[in-house]
Formats: sequence, C-alpha cells, structure tokens
Amino acid sequence: MSDTTDMSDTNDTPQDLPEGASRRLAELEHGLFTSDLSVNEFLLIKEVGFHPLGFVMGSSIYHTGIQTRKWGQSQELTKLTEAMYNARELAMTRMEEEAAELGADGVVGVRLDVNYYEWGKDAAEFIAVGTAVKAESGVSHRNKLGKPFTSDLSGQDFWTLMQTGHIPQGLVMGTCVYHIAHRGLGATLGSAGQNVELPNFTQALYEARELAMTRMQDEATELGASGIVGVRLEEKSHQWGSHTIEFLSLGTAVVKTSDEVTLPKPTTIISLDN
Amino acid sequence: MSGAPADLPEAAARRFAEGAFTSGLTVPDFAACLQMGLEPVGFVQGYCVMQWKWYGMGGMGLGMGGYGAQYANTGGYSENWACPHGMVSAEHRAWGQNFEQTWVESAWTEGFTSAYGRMVEEAASVGAHGIVGVVDTNQPLSDMGVLEFRVQGTAVRVTDGTPPADEPWTTYLAGQRLAKLVEAGYAPVSIAAGVASVRVWANCITENLTEGSNSMYSMAQPGSEIDQTVKAHSVVRRLARQRVRDQLGHDSLHGAAMATTERELGQGDAELQCILRGNRVRRFKDFDPMPAPVPTVRLL
Amino acid sequence: MTVPAPVGEGLPAPEPVDLKAEMIRATEVVGRSAPGGKGPAKATRMLSDLSIDEELVLHSIGWEPIELVSGVSIHSVPMYVWNWGQGEIEYASAAYARSFARATERIHAECTKAGGRGVVGVHVEWGVHRHHIDVALVGTAVRPVDGNGLSADPVFVSDLSGRDFALLHNAGWEPLGLAAGASFVYAPRRSMGTAVKQKGQNVELTNFTEAMYAARESAMERMQTSALGMEGTGVVEVKVTEGPMDFAHHAVGFTAYGTVVRLRTGEHRHVGARMILPLDDPVLGFDATSLRGS
Repeated sequence: MSDTTDMSDTNDTPQDLPEGASRRLAELEHGLFTSDLSVNEFLLIKEVGFHPLGFVMGSSIYHTGIQTRKWGQSQELTKLTEAMYNARELAMTRMEEEAAELGADGVVGVRLDVNYYEWGKDAAEFIAVGTAVKAESGVSHRNKLGKPFTSDLSGQDFWTLMQTGHIPQGLVMGTCVYHIAHRGLGATLGSAGQNVELPNFTQALYEARELAMTRMQDEATELGASGIVGVRLEEKSHQWGSHTIEFLSLGTAVVKTSDEVTLPKPTTIISLDN
Repeated sequence: MSGAPADLPEAAARRFAEGAFTSGLTVPDFAACLQMGLEPVGFVQGYCVMQWKWYGMGGMGLGMGGYGAQYANTGGYSENWACPHGMVSAEHRAWGQNFEQTWVESAWTEGFTSAYGRMVEEAASVGAHGIVGVVDTNQPLSDMGVLEFRVQGTAVRVTDGTPPADEPWTTYLAGQRLAKLVEAGYAPVSIAAGVASVRVWANCITENLTEGSNSMYSMAQPGSEIDQTVKAHSVVRRLARQRVRDQLGHDSLHGAAMATTERELGQGDAELQCILRGNRVRRFKDFDPMPAPVPTVRLL
Repeated sequence: MTVPAPVGEGLPAPEPVDLKAEMIRATEVVGRSAPGGKGPAKATRMLSDLSIDEELVLHSIGWEPIELVSGVSIHSVPMYVWNWGQGEIEYASAAYARSFARATERIHAECTKAGGRGVVGVHVEWGVHRHHIDVALVGTAVRPVDGNGLSADPVFVSDLSGRDFALLHNAGWEPLGLAAGASFVYAPRRSMGTAVKQKGQNVELTNFTEAMYAARESAMERMQTSALGMEGTGVVEVKVTEGPMDFAHHAVGFTAYGTVVRLRTGEHRHVGARMILPLDDPVLGFDATSLRGS
C-alpha cells in the first residue's frame, strides 16, 4: 500500500523519533513509569503480572487531500484509502517504537484519534497513544514479529482476556474510503414517495464494509492470530462531504497461550446500589 | 478517574436523578426511603424573589480613582493595593482595593434563608420529621436584576418515630446515600449554605498584568503572578468556608460542593463569588468502620 | 495463574443493621439536642466534599476527612505572545507551570495548617486565557484517624478520589503529589512553494509532525521531571489534553498532569479481584437504542 510520490520519505520505516521523545523515554527507562490507566486498570494489570512502563505516543500529520472521483459512480477511492492507512500506520509504528525503546512487551489501552486544525487545510493529525507494559516475570510476551503487542483493550478487558488463556498480538485495522454515487435526478424522482431499497447504496456500503473487514483480517493472519476480539466498525466522513465515507474496522488480534482457563467461577450478585 | 457519581456533589447528583418537576423522588430513591422507614408525605417548596444588583447599593461612598480617592468601607474584608509609583494621572490607577461586597452577601443570604424557611414551614405543617432530596436553585427572572431563590424537597415522616420536633431536619441527600450516611452514624441536621462576594478594584499593576500590556510605567515583570486577584480568590473561598463553619456549631459538613464564579469587568477589575453548600450532620453513635470492601470485576 | 483469595474472605460477616431503628434514633437525637448541641461521640468538626461512599472506604483503611482546602494561582501572559511566531511559546508554558506550582503550594499549606496528611479528590480546574493562565485546586484534607500511620512523611496533594486512594493504599502504594507539564507552540507554516507542491498528493507533512510531536513530548517530559523531583516511582491517571486556543487558532497547547506515587515499603500487594455477574437489568439504564446494537 505505498504509492505516493513526494519529496520526503514517508511510508517506509519511520524516521527517528524527535529529540524530545528520546529524552523523555530515557527518563522512563530509569525506573519512573507514567500511565493514563485509571487506578482500577493499574491494579488489574498488576494482577496478571504486568507492570506499566510509560505513556507512549506516536503521531503523524498527513495531507489527505484530493482524489478525483466520478460523481455518478460508486467506487473505492484508493488514494485516500492509502493515505488514511499510511497515516495511522505511521502513528502506530512510532508509538510501537517508543514502546520498544522502553523494552516493553506490549501497549494497552491504545487510542487512535484524528485531529483537524484550522491551519492545516486538508491535513489531519493522526495520533496513537497508550500505556506500554512489561511482564514482571521477565519472560518476553512480544508478538510473533518480535514487536511489542498493541491492543485497545482496557485494563479490565486485558485482565479478563489473560484469564481465558489468550494474549493480544496487535491492534489490527482495515480501512476503505468509499465514494457513494450520487443518484441521477431521474432515479430520485422515480422513487420519490416510495419505500424501496436503494440498491446503489446497499451495494456500496456492503462492499466498503467488507473491504475494510477483510483487510483487518489479513493483518491478523499476518500476526498468526487465532482470532480478533472487540471488533468495531467506524464510519466517518472526515472533511470530504457526505458522499465519501471512510470505513475503519478495528480490533485486537489475539493468540491462545494455554488451554488452562483460570477464570474463577463468577459470583452472581444483585446490586442494591444506584 | 473512574465512576463519576462518587465525586459529584450530592446536590448535583440528586438534581440529575430527578424526573419530572412534580415528582420529588425517583423510583430507587422512593424504595430506599421506605427501606429506611421514611414515609414520603409531600413535595414541599419555598420561594423568595430578591432585587439583585451587581454593584454597590447606595451609601457606600466609592471613589473613582485618582488622587485622594476614598477607599470603600463595607464592614467586611478589605485590603488596599496602592500603586507603587508616585504617579497621579487620570489614566493611571493609582490605587486599588479588594473588598467584600457585604450587601451582595446579605441579599443572597436573605433570599436563601427566606426560601428555605418557607419550605420548612410547609413541611412542619404536615407533621414531617424531615425533608430529603433538597434542591436549591437561583435563577434570574428577568434581565433587570431580579433573582428568584427556590428551595424544594420531599417531606418525610419517620415510621414509628416520636412526634416531630418543631423544625424538621433537612438534607440534600436521598435514597441510598442517605441510608449509608445514617448507617455510618451521622444524623442529618440541615442543609447549610454560605456565600462570599469579593470585588477586585484593580490597581495599575493588576490592570497591566491582566490585560497583558506592559506599559512603560507598569513596573510589573511580564509573566508574573497577579497578586491582587489571586488574593481575592483565596479570600473569597476562605470567607465562604467561614460563613458555613459559623453555622455548624459542633456539627460537621458532609458532601460539600464549593462553586466559585468570576466575572471579569474589564481593565483588570473582577467580581468573585463563592457559594459553599453541604449537609450539616451530627454524630449520633460511634463510627463503626466497615471491613475492607471486596474488589470485583463485572462480567456484563 | 492462580487467583489469590479475595480480601475479606474469612472475616465474620458484619452484623445486619436495623436501618429503621437507626433512623428513629437519629431523628430523636437531632430533635432533642439544642442547635449546635454535642453528640455522644467526640465532636470533630469536619468539612468535606467527599461522598459517603468515599468516606466509608477511607475509614476502612483508617483515615478520615477533616477540612476543605483550596489553592489558586493566576499568572499573566504578555500581549502579542499569541501572534504568529515559531517554535515554543515560552511565556505561556512558563505561566502554566508557575500557576500550577503556586496553586499546589497553597493547597499544600492549607492542608498542613488544618493538620492533614494529604489532600484527596482534588478538582483541578485550569484555564488558558489570552492574557493570563489560571489554575484552581479544591479538595478535602485527610489524615489517619487518631493520628496513626504515616507521620514523618510529607503532605501529599492528589486528584485521586478517596476510593482510588484507599485501593492504592491497600496495594502498598502512596501518593506523593500532583505533577504537571505543559507546552504551547505555534503551528508551523508551510512555505508557499511547498504548499503548492503538496497539493494533490497524500503525503506526511513532516514539519508539522515534528513540531506537534515535539510539543507533546515536551509536555509529558516536564510532567515526568516534576515527578522525579518528588522521588516518585510512577505517575498514574495521567490526563492529557491538546488543542488549539479558542482565541488564537494557530497556537496549540499540550498539557499533562497526574498523581505521583511510590511503593510505601516492599512490594506491590495483589488485591485479589473477584469476578461478579450482576443479575441486574437496571430500569433506569435501559435504552431502546441499545437494541440496534449501536
């Protein structure tokens, strides 16, 4: 997925992290940890034998500009898809690099955000943040590719997942920017006042969602995952107007580590609190 | 921070849970009341409309600045902030002052106390032992400086209790929160509220720092702390706490909420108001600490 | 991995409380005694903004609230600082740092004066205005009941709720203070030539990325430095904000603050969380839109 022509190297291996980052990470390596986990999450991570190392982040400001599109045709806008994917990849990879520098086994609670600023027309900032963690036992829990795993699981979900004998491998995503054809005037007038399916739209949305999910699954396969948990599909028009939508499918790829499920039998309760 | 309700002031939590205007209690709160042996008897309320002016109400003799100005004497906190330069000019604010707006405070106190008193009267007239889930609000009725104080709650009777005292006890709490309060050994006495209002009449340095300007005559270090306004902030909060403390006797204040607002009036001037509300409570039995609670993770 | 035995197991069940009888007694006590009369227990006049849940949890670890305390600081930002420039807006970053530090000092002082060991549940309110940056902190000072527990330790200030403070306490951690860091920068400008070349292409804007990244890292680093200064081992519940200023869209601010903690002695104590399956369908929580699966 790398097809842009430009002056600077962008979507191959990311550049060195900014100087500020190295300084900050050095402080963390000396034993201080930072985390945006709540106290509950912090305690639960410790329960499964992990310790937070530090708050890690990666970002990339990407120009997500133009792609010509045919007004009357439903199609994927591949250039934009690439751009959205590359930008998030860059942000995620930088975040992983920070985690790797800290010697982390993985990153939990990853959040992917997109920011728009007035001064960057057609540009958006893609940010990935999370808390890097490391197993206290010293045994490496990195993923199949030898990199720290990423996951958007909360501390509670991470604890529960570990109890079922699974471990996250990576946050996987698939994206597809789709343009939905505008209906011709004739077609619009013809169906006005009727309750009918709009085959154009149906087909377009189907295809777009499938593309996004398939790409996400491909990433999971690459990681050798046995499954994906917490899948969600987000649909946003960003700055392109309502006929162009980005379908983003996100989930956490997991792998089974043992057959032993240590989930204690849950106590059933009826809560009498508000 | 997880679990927002634990940190909300009790009054706000109640207000959010409240349904339609005429119903005092939500279903869970109603159930909790019955569990405690409290029988709701009616929705009670008190109102009071006060004239409300932001600036001095007559007879305070405030000077307008410049040489020989009068410092206001309002009978409350007052601190002068004379300008350190020897300058005299129509544009140079040679003197400044922080002072307590006692007339604002008395007007607010009067409005609140009257509204509260009327609500209590209503409850006493139906033989209630107490009023739970009190909500107090004040809102402008029109732009002309008229403020309406409103205090309302649900009057309750204690099943099998001794005949009610002359004045029912009142509390912002209701439902489970009230039950836990009582279980912990606290008896609700009344709601308590205190207000403090401080006006900042800026001197030249405060004006310059607040506006970011750095005039030649300012003598203020750019980027320094704005002492006069900071002092006012500190005083207004301290006074509000003092007002409430004066009402407590030997009792304590539980579940308090302190709200401070600031109005910037231009040229560095400001008006600060701090209202502290809470539940006045009294120990009626020794505290019996509970064992450490069990931490759990929900599987939903 | 075995699950440790849950806390509280093996203790005798607390005696059931007759709530109705308690309520009758409470009402009598209030009705009987003169306003401001003394109760049977020792009368400590406390002011607290903690909820009853927080107070109960605090008591379960042997601490109690005593006083409402606050600290405020406002620092000026000179004019023209927000006009377009390059790199970091130092006056703004410095004003934020100083306001936070002075406000913390003041609430710390109020706590000490009230005889507290620390402040919990601090509401942190900060605002960046065109010409000044304000920080206001309000919280409840707490101390061990009967003065047991930490005595030689310095007073702490933290935005942890009473509940989180108790949880960490049981796990062996103690809070030290609030650490904060901020960095304000001007958005970098693109030169005309670059702008034209980049139009129509999907590329990373390296200048912008570098500037924003650096500023974000800078804010976090300042927070870390502050934490190290308190000899902490970690910072929990870090809250990060970023965004352009309302009054100057080309200036972007990054802030981060959190509670600095360290292990009291020895190692972390596992809490032994128990899994529960509530059989609740909370009536108030039911929402028809959840049927749509969204």
